Amino acid sequence: MSQRFPLPAAQHPLAARLLADAAAIGEAIERFGSPLHVVFPQVMAENAAVLAGVLRRHGVPYGIYYAHKVNASIRLLAQARVAGLGADVASAAELDQALAAGFAPDRIEATGPKSPAFIERIAALGVTVNADDLWELDRLAAAAPAGSTVPVLLRLSGFASPAVPQSRFGIDLADTDAALETVRRAPGLELRGVAFHLDTADPAARVDALTESMTVVAAAHQKGLRPSVIDIGGGFRQRFVDDPKPFQRYAQALAAAGSSELVWSGHDVGAPAAHKYGNHHPSTEVLERFLMAEVEHRPVADVLRECMLTLWIEPGKALVDHAGITLATVLYRKRAAGRDLVVVDLSRNQVTPADQEVLLDPVLVGGRGEPPDDGVFLAGRLCLESDLISRRKVFLDAQPGSGDVLAFVNTAAYQMDLSASAAAGHPPPAKVAAVLEGDRFTFVLDDIHGS
Amino acid sequence: MRYDSVLDMIGDTPLLRLDPGAHGVPEAEIFLKLESANPFGSVKDRVAWGLLRDHIDTIVEEEQVVLEASSGNTAKALQIIASMHGVGFRAFTNRVRVREVREMLTLLGAEVTEMPGLSECPDPTAPNDVFGVIGDLMDGEPGRYHHTSQYTNEDNLRAHYEQTGREIYRDAGPVDLLVGGLGTTGSTRGAATYLRERNPETAVVGVVAAEGDFIPGIRSAAEMWEVGLFEPGFYDAITAVDSADAITASLELATRHGVLAGPTTGAAFAAARDRLLSGPGGPVTAVVIACDRMEPYLSYFRHRRPDLFGMAAGTATAEAAPSATPEDIETWIAAGEHVVVVDVRTALAFQAGHIPGAINLRDDLLEQVMEAGMPFSEASRVVFACPTGDRSARFAARAAATGRRAYTLAGGILGWRDSGRPLAGV
Repeated sequence: MSQRFPLPAAQHPLAARLLADAAAIGEAIERFGSPLHVVFPQVMAENAAVLAGVLRRHGVPYGIYYAHKVNASIRLLAQARVAGLGADVASAAELDQALAAGFAPDRIEATGPKSPAFIERIAALGVTVNADDLWELDRLAAAAPAGSTVPVLLRLSGFASPAVPQSRFGIDLADTDAALETVRRAPGLELRGVAFHLDTADPAARVDALTESMTVVAAAHQKGLRPSVIDIGGGFRQRFVDDPKPFQRYAQALAAAGSSELVWSGHDVGAPAAHKYGNHHPSTEVLERFLMAEVEHRPVADVLRECMLTLWIEPGKALVDHAGITLATVLYRKRAAGRDLVVVDLSRNQVTPADQEVLLDPVLVGGRGEPPDDGVFLAGRLCLESDLISRRKVFLDAQPGSGDVLAFVNTAAYQMDLSASAAAGHPPPAKVAAVLEGDRFTFVLDDIHGS
Repeated sequence: MRYDSVLDMIGDTPLLRLDPGAHGVPEAEIFLKLESANPFGSVKDRVAWGLLRDHIDTIVEEEQVVLEASSGNTAKALQIIASMHGVGFRAFTNRVRVREVREMLTLLGAEVTEMPGLSECPDPTAPNDVFGVIGDLMDGEPGRYHHTSQYTNEDNLRAHYEQTGREIYRDAGPVDLLVGGLGTTGSTRGAATYLRERNPETAVVGVVAAEGDFIPGIRSAAEMWEVGLFEPGFYDAITAVDSADAITASLELATRHGVLAGPTTGAAFAAARDRLLSGPGGPVTAVVIACDRMEPYLSYFRHRRPDLFGMAAGTATAEAAPSATPEDIETWIAAGEHVVVVDVRTALAFQAGHIPGAINLRDDLLEQVMEAGMPFSEASRVVFACPTGDRSARFAARAAATGRRAYTLAGGILGWRDSGRPLAGV
């Protein structure tokens, strides 16, 4: 008999409450169909308050820009506005969506590579530009009408510190003089500050990047520019599990047994991303550790105040952590390739970001009885051998059957939209916002009107 | 009592019964285990010697260098023991936050590598934490180093199980409650394991710093997960204490019980008393581990509670500090007067942008300089500047009190910047 290696997902109380309410889940599936993405604006409001609380507690002047790319939901975006956040948009479509959600242009920041048309709109609206390259700056300088003050952040890269990961984004530190010169000469631009974003949880990397960025602030002052913002981007982690032990057990078992027992043959789930799914620390920890790290024996929070810089952050994952689940009905069970398969009315790319295996077990809604001895593989509905929702054996708490609903927990960050395709004519899953009012959940379609 | 080596003086520390009339918890016997009576001043003397005793001959023979992640009492004790044996010691840390501790390590000749921002404990998610750096160093020159590894070495626990716990039981009998600060967690856990074997009902409370607060030597609740020895299930409660309560309690220990103990001990005492007062009452024996002495924390006390150092008047005098507006400064300079602008921020902030012509003396340095004597000429006007004008006012008031023509920059450097005046960068 096989051993069980369950990877139970941490559940926000709001999600747990909905998952325990089989009637409400049934109602949602009946109204909006399967598969179904459900977002929780109330959880995002809570996440926003917690992040802002950390910044306030450390006494740092701040701005929080919600990285909208993490989830296409307009309900979550609108919630970000209500929570007092700004919007970080990465395309013209996201810019439109932010304007539709009620953000004023001066509360919007545009990041990432930009097309000429996008740059024209940014310049016309006076949206803050997080400039990825000198090419963008030149076009922006030409597009910004004289006398306007389109705010510019220089996204920096090419840091000397070995602790800072290399990045394909941003303006190399060696080119910042030219960048500052472009901003200084442009009659319609105003230097708001400098920016970076690091793909790491390591506070030392952010401390080093901060320190090196200050040379650009100094150079800007020399040119008579007035930078007032340092933007450290996002990279704040999600908290996927309450307890890291099952994850460690699983990783050890995987290493010991090889992949044959726990992984669908022909696929490699890779070294379990302990960094990501094993994380049980709060999403505020990366930020907190950065603010408490020291520069010249003084906490970063104090140094930022001394540098008279407003700290901007661009959280995406941390803001929508636990702010969504994905529901899908079980079509049928079968044996194939010597394995137990559960075929689900869902495609892998509609719940999986960039084909990355999601190392958490789904929840069987309304499941009863003893947990089965062995795990199962979850198959998707596409005509691809690779369309397995789980290439890893998952361990459910009860036996699933046709018509049952599986809930994938904590899917609001990139899992819903980043890679979703409409292959085989399956439209992307419907998305609804679930709001708890009193002791009842209300579901509204995730569009600008809600219905 | 005669000793032939100072190392023989480590351990067998006194257990002090606190006067019930003074501690105020009805029917409770509260004992302090005075680890501060160890020869180098802290509970870490046991740890340091416990970690080195069985290895020191090999270390000496092979001329190894001892490595440890520590910034405080462990580093101090290891440095002393290493230098007594003529071997080297290197400490790695992300923080030496207390001035006296830093100065003491320097004085003793410790080689301290500071890695700001890096975690001091094993952190599987940060590839280049302090442990990674130590690991790389050891891999680079196999056999050259000896890593004592206080956070994960079971000898740390054993020293406290075999000695500290046994001594407490010998002197106090069965214990109902043991309270200690959680740093490496070795002392509390080691001693508690022994005491629970004698009395399974012994409640164990670990004390941590309140979230976002700082108490030297113990960790905040969020940091505890990093410690390899930490087992949350072991404790009956993990209690968070803030630095203000810790300081108040250490002062109370000093003035009412005559025990000069550091803020960690204050925190543990405060937590013990709160738990006893909110408990069911009745006769109870409680032991609080007093891990070190008060004196090395004077600057910490002063920083957190300036009012206790007669600096309460500081706010009043700061309010009375003469202030200068940017226009005043420009007028004086135009009139040919000699004006010194002293920027009291960190070098990084100064380099990023400062008032043209200003000099940089960061506040803690300036504090020391001014203690030694006023470094400014009576012939010059001196304008102190900080971001908002609060810190600079203190210095201006002090300098003005010695007859200098000293001012605080009205509106601070922020006001200067926002008025459109230039800033210089380095």
